[in-house]
Amino acid sequence: MTAPKRTNRKQIKDKDFELVRAINSGQFDRFPDLVKRYEQKLYNFSFRMCRDAADAEDTVQETFLNVFRYLKDFRYETKFKNWLYRVAASTCIKKRRKSKFAPQRELSLDEFYPQNEAEDPQQVPEWAQMPLDKLLSNELLDKINEAIFTLPEKYRLVIVLRDIEGFSTAETAQILNLSDANVKVRLHRARLYLRDRLKGYFENE
Amino acid sequence: MNKDEHDHKHCLELFEKLSEYLDNELDEVTCQGIEKHVKECVPCFVCLQTLKRTIDLCKQTENRSVPKDFSEKLKEAIQNMPKSPSAR
Ligand SMILES: [Zn+2]
Repeated sequence: MTAPKRTNRKQIKDKDFELVRAINSGQFDRFPDLVKRYEQKLYNFSFRMCRDAADAEDTVQETFLNVFRYLKDFRYETKFKNWLYRVAASTCIKKRRKSKFAPQRELSLDEFYPQNEAEDPQQVPEWAQMPLDKLLSNELLDKINEAIFTLPEKYRLVIVLRDIEGFSTAETAQILNLSDANVKVRLHRARLYLRDRLKGYFENE
Repeated sequence: MNKDEHDHKHCLELFEKLSEYLDNELDEVTCQGIEKHVKECVPCFVCLQTLKRTIDLCKQTENRSVPKDFSEKLKEAIQNMPKSPSAR
């Protein structure tokens, strides 16, 4: 009799569970289904991280090759999607280190303190008040995407996972191997940075 | 509340927690403290509203669609991968 060592560990049966299990039981011809399911999402994630279309394509391809290579080690202890993004994030980070060197700037909280503004605002600006659908335009979305691009990588990773991909604090911490507290600090600074950029955009309009 | 009475130290403490507040990650007492403060402090209220709008806008950023030939290239790359588990 063998001891039930790992069997009582809880497996997460998310929407990918059956497919991943099928591939891991030898149905390799089903791997393209998994690719189809995530290529769009991973392309966008990689594009935001690499900031270059060709690099994003390479990164997605490398990510899927890594997924294929390591899928047998996946233990179903998290959602498959979280594990996938963990692979994707580390592939992006490696890719970046190989490509052009860009210094990692730290964002400190005091750059964003409200008292650094010329004067205390006495009312909520128009852009933060009007209905969201009235405010939205392609030009504005381009501005935001540009602003996200200028964030240092460690902040960009966090805000993309949290506010664009919709992962929770705990999930983001797990994907990036950070503490929850660290995720929160980086997220807050990234948001404040974007807020400043938006403020600048609307004030100079 | 006029500006002279404005307790800046309190504002700065609160400023650090605004994201957690908007993400519902704070305990009830802290939340109530923030809600009470922003009712009385216009700059903090403005800060909260502009931050909230920033997050909403960020969530609206568009996704690019995958370039046309990319899906095909990807498919090919995957077909060329070693198929047997031993080669993995
Ligand atoms: Zn205040």
